[in-house]
Amino acid sequence: MNDRTKLVKREESMPKTSREIPALAPLVDIYENEDEILLYADMPGVDKKDITVNIDNGKLSLSGVRKIEPTGAVQWEEFGNVEYQRTFSVPQTIDVDKINAELKDGVLRLHLTKSEAAKPKQIEIKAA
Amino acid sequence: MWTRWSDIDRMFNAMDLLQNRMNRMFPDYGKFKSFPAAWDALQSGPSTNLYDVGDHLEMKIELPCMTKDDLNIKLQGNYLEISGLRKSDTPKGYSAHRVERVTTSFTRSFTLPSEVDTNKVQAQLANGLLTLTLPKSEAAKPKQIEIN
Repeated sequence: MNDRTKLVKREESMPKTSREIPALAPLVDIYENEDEILLYADMPGVDKKDITVNIDNGKLSLSGVRKIEPTGAVQWEEFGNVEYQRTFSVPQTIDVDKINAELKDGVLRLHLTKSEAAKPKQIEIKAA
Repeated sequence: MWTRWSDIDRMFNAMDLLQNRMNRMFPDYGKFKSFPAAWDALQSGPSTNLYDVGDHLEMKIELPCMTKDDLNIKLQGNYLEISGLRKSDTPKGYSAHRVERVTTSFTRSFTLPSEVDTNKVQAQLANGLLTLTLPKSEAAKPKQIEIN
């Protein structure tokens, strides 16, 4: 019954274009060694404060907004405002508390540290 | 057959209406472009913007992961040439899962819309974005003309 009223009462939503700036997937490199996974993403022109990195339920999502104000009459424009946006699945073995991120020369570098339990271990054989 | 032009107009109006409705149903369609084009495939170099700010020109160039030592900027009159080499920043001792960021050299040349005073050019690199400030030469500067 409840469902039914919901169905009847559902309002037509015709939202206006929700995002003004186009989204673009940044180019990334992903590297791994025994201790960590490294993720490099190219985000030229994005300010540190406009970047958000979220990790939730095994999903790592990056978002960086670039705003470019034209300073004069445009002669040509090959790039403009953009939201760099990309989502990755992260293995359970990553220690979420130890993730750190840095931004340098327009490249976002994420260090995803593996948890102690997930690191490879040498097992010693004891002499009987 | 149609006898009046207004019939054709009406048909086009109906098509426009349909298009608008479709656009509203899928607001994000076409907004999400695929990946930025790799330099060497479609373009001869990084993307640039050029603005005319009255007495100077301003150029912005996308150059992620490049330092000033990797770049070479040449200027003569209204001819500008930018070349550079993007080095690989692959860390040692890591295995690669995915490598999308290109490492290549490029050269791009431009004919600027006006002559530039080569001595007063400024270049600034911040956040992977190079900004060139190119003051126009005296002859090319805009001038106020007084009416006698």
